[in-house]
Amino acid sequence: MRVVAQKIGAAFILFQLCASTAIADPFLEDAEWLRTMAFAAHQTNYSGVFVYQSGGRVEMSRITHIFDQNGEHERLEGLDGLRREVIRNNDKVWLYLGDKKVRIEKRRAQHAFPALLPEQIQTLKENYLIRQGEEDRVAEFHAHTVYFQPKDNLRYSRKMWAHSENGLLLKAVVLDERGRVIEQYAFSQLRIGGNIDQKWIVPDESEAAHSAQHEEMSPLPKASFESAPSGWQVDAIPPGFKKIIEMHRTITGKKLPVVHIVYSDGLAGISVFIEKVSEVTDIPGLSSQGAVHIYSRLVGDHLVTVVGEVPPRTVIQVADSVRFAGE
Amino acid sequence: MKQEISVLMDGEMFEDEAELFFDRLKRHPQASQDWAVYHLIGDALRQPDHVHRDISLAFRERLQAEPIILAPHTRSPQRVRHYALSAVASVMALALVAWLSMQVAGEPAPQLAAAQHNNAVRPAAFQANDYLMAHQEFSPSADVQGAASYIHTVSAK
Repeated sequence: MRVVAQKIGAAFILFQLCASTAIADPFLEDAEWLRTMAFAAHQTNYSGVFVYQSGGRVEMSRITHIFDQNGEHERLEGLDGLRREVIRNNDKVWLYLGDKKVRIEKRRAQHAFPALLPEQIQTLKENYLIRQGEEDRVAEFHAHTVYFQPKDNLRYSRKMWAHSENGLLLKAVVLDERGRVIEQYAFSQLRIGGNIDQKWIVPDESEAAHSAQHEEMSPLPKASFESAPSGWQVDAIPPGFKKIIEMHRTITGKKLPVVHIVYSDGLAGISVFIEKVSEVTDIPGLSSQGAVHIYSRLVGDHLVTVVGEVPPRTVIQVADSVRFAGE
Repeated sequence: MKQEISVLMDGEMFEDEAELFFDRLKRHPQASQDWAVYHLIGDALRQPDHVHRDISLAFRERLQAEPIILAPHTRSPQRVRHYALSAVASVMALALVAWLSMQVAGEPAPQLAAAQHNNAVRPAAFQANDYLMAHQEFSPSADVQGAASYIHTVSAK
């Protein structure tokens, strides 16, 4: 019932857009652009090549997204070097690295669109100054720009270019508090709609046969995304981040279930992972992947790892404040 | 070498460094070519109407000069296409990055040099992929970016 209501809401947004009022619609509030973009990201059929740049590294990837009667199918392929590919079929995600295939566990089912509920938009407005910028062109399409300026230095600012008519995100830049580019990506070529190659889509029925050929596949984790208190406490979560879920879950490559707590400020996410470790091996410390920072530290015999699209100081602050408060 | 070219073009190289660099540039044909390409990009950015045609012409010439075409039997046709595609892709990437850099508010233009952000932070190790992927499922950014946000997981180290 709720899903239907959400779909109607989403359809209404699409209607607004189709009515071609979006380009200069004074009634489409700044923050609503994000919801429109989220809607477009899930509902649009497109295929294109995008350029990703971070820390002097440049990569080209092909991205395909199909939404049909069976749901959502998307694919990301790296265009240079070894095979690097992600295929998602609704809630199932596969990762291919070289000739290795890894089945990643199910995504959270309720993650289906539209993920940005009104209260999240509200959260967003509490944490960022949102304003619309100049109109522009990206990959031959007319684009509408939206800036998200954080109210503190614990998160990154963003600039997004959305397709003026359908809201699809065409380009995104993540900047630190000094205006330096942390990462950016943009479509260099994009086709919306039309005849898109669908041969890569793995039908659900043949999944068993398909996966049996790959011995590298990890056992199917029985992930249950039921919210449950873990007894762990995070004291210094930055203001404006709200807890989305707290659970015990399995993670590919980990024998024991891991505590996973997720926070969101509407635009950035912070995940706190806590796992019991029997022997202290290499503690990774701080590492990064574009705008995503990862920081690990030991708390007693537990390894705490914090992952988020936030500056290093934020993941460190969060990790340092994790403590066990008892069941 | 490429980074030095870009530093020089940004006017951030000292004079004595630049002289040494010019000497090296003369000795390396590849670098001279990069030098020309970077300037072509700069020209294209300033006068897109006039230069655009020349770029695509030059691309086509370079594509036709690709060595793979001379030895088609050693690779499947698909492979050839892939190579051709990545050649186009890399040139496009270069041009786009230059252009991207100019688009960002508050950024000095054009910035072909590496963003100076990698101080003490190491690139994420492979096993961090599991956590990245797990985080990905719940991150609000994935909702807006779609599969593009998986770039953090599949990105080459």
